[in-house]
Amino acid sequence: MTPGKIYLDNCVTTPLDPEVLEAMLPYFSEKFWMPGTFISTGESTNSALDEFRQTIAETLNAQAVEIHFTSGGTIANNIAIKGLANAHASSGKHAIVSLVDYPDLLTNAAWLEKKGFEVTYLEPDAEGVVGAEKLAAAIRNDTTLFLTTIVNHVVGTIQPMAEYKKVLENAGHKIFWHADAGQAYGKMPLDLQELGVDTLSISAHKIHGPQGVGALFVRKGTRIAQIIHGVSRVGSVQPGGVSIALIAGFAKAVQITFADLDATISKLRGLSNYLLERLEAEIPEIELNGPRGEKRVSHNINISIAYIEGEAITMMLDLKGITVATGSACASQGLKPSYVLMAMGKNHVQSHGSMKFTLSRYNTKEQIDFAVASLAKITAQLRERSPLYQATHSQEK
Amino acid sequence: MQYSQKVLDHFMNPHNVGKMENPDAVATEGSPACGDQVTIYLKIDEASKKIDDISFLSYGCASNIATASIITDLAKGKTLDEAKKISWKDAMDALDGLPPVKVHCSVLASDTLQTAISNYEIEHGLKEVPNFGKETIIEELKKIIYPQVGEDIVTLKMVKYVGFDDGEVLIDMNIMSFDEWRDNVAEEIREHLSKFPEVKNIKINFP
Repeated sequence: MTPGKIYLDNCVTTPLDPEVLEAMLPYFSEKFWMPGTFISTGESTNSALDEFRQTIAETLNAQAVEIHFTSGGTIANNIAIKGLANAHASSGKHAIVSLVDYPDLLTNAAWLEKKGFEVTYLEPDAEGVVGAEKLAAAIRNDTTLFLTTIVNHVVGTIQPMAEYKKVLENAGHKIFWHADAGQAYGKMPLDLQELGVDTLSISAHKIHGPQGVGALFVRKGTRIAQIIHGVSRVGSVQPGGVSIALIAGFAKAVQITFADLDATISKLRGLSNYLLERLEAEIPEIELNGPRGEKRVSHNINISIAYIEGEAITMMLDLKGITVATGSACASQGLKPSYVLMAMGKNHVQSHGSMKFTLSRYNTKEQIDFAVASLAKITAQLRERSPLYQATHSQEK
Repeated sequence: MQYSQKVLDHFMNPHNVGKMENPDAVATEGSPACGDQVTIYLKIDEASKKIDDISFLSYGCASNIATASIITDLAKGKTLDEAKKISWKDAMDALDGLPPVKVHCSVLASDTLQTAISNYEIEHGLKEVPNFGKETIIEELKKIIYPQVGEDIVTLKMVKYVGFDDGEVLIDMNIMSFDEWRDNVAEEIREHLSKFPEVKNIKINFP
């Protein structure tokens, strides 16, 4: 990446690793066959598919048969949530989700309500943590579903999965548990023998793989109703053709990321800590949104900058070749502030001035220095024009 | 977000920006909670009633800054009577248009200019403080833009009925429940009307 293009919005998507592209190319040309077709050539693609499935299963300490390829994280979330709900509604129609969950989970919760479920929305604390005691208090005799986003997509808060597990084990009846691991996979260790979830979704393009492919883990023995119907070629929860090329790319991205996961995480955490340190040193009157340290995922920093608005900041940064995200209502399709920050008790002004930086292994300290220096200049410039800043700082001049 | 080159120019290099010392009139509209606020300062020649100088401060997005910048350009050197005719549509035209969802920014900018002029006129005995009534409410509703279309809700015939009695505003709106902008419009109405001390309660009915 050239210094002129500094991409700090890796929560949305990540740049494709060149090795991943290389690994996909043969499957677009000479190895184009459709897995699951019974010809000799199809057989060899099947074995490739099994190998890719095995690669991904190993990174999660899962079995290959528990990994189902899907055409992305959102479809995996839909297949899991709707599939679990349809299969187990007869044992109760109460679901639990939190106010800070990923939109996939919240929109599915709204769907559950339309289907006659009652949904309890758990409130986070000021750092975005949804405490296990809140889950325990919400459980009823008819609770059948609990949905979690392991790492919050806005502030990077890691939810207390081990504590949730204990609560669910002591519930007295089976509660099916689905987790979205979109922002967690490849950014922190995930061991499905430990985690205790029944289903879990991951996505390739968040870890330098291709867009349009993801996977759903379904624990062996867990019954989920079929949501999508069609030709079953490889026994996946998502029938129809699969893109062997995209799956090959996904597996390659996983191999690279997990070759030394500790090193990947430690690099990301080092960069994040450095970014926060520089921001706090260079820009007065900012605050960190979400927790500090180990309760936060390795690649996310989210701050609110007082007195100025996020869309203006992101546009000015963009003109300098720096890509970041904001929770400002002005930058959103529906003119609404970040629902995550609002649920954490932040006010409109804090949400309007919020900036989200999400890093990848391609970012460098030099890029961070340039981004922070640019942001410091832009902040000073916009504050000079801001009536809110002038009202509180005019006496000082 | 697709902005015109003119919007980007005024956003990156705004004209007439900064706080003015000893202005003859000043007005602030919008609120931090709505995400945008504009302050406009005027220096007015008492004899000719010409706007000799004008400047602004802005808390808001790119189009908020750009519309405030262009409105000060349009008003500078004009007499008060001329400046009173400057509308949000003039600001938008001068910027080669705005995305529909951002049209409300140009309304805020022109509104702030008009309030500054009105403040000056009231202070100098050039006009009386207007009586609050149904007409004031309708004028205020004309400043609320339906974000999907970029036109105000009165022109779009979304307002079916307006009543005002004993501090209570009653508005019947013609926006369906499945309309994604319904809550947004209701919030805007409340924000616009609650700034009037005469308004004690606001009731908005939807079909």
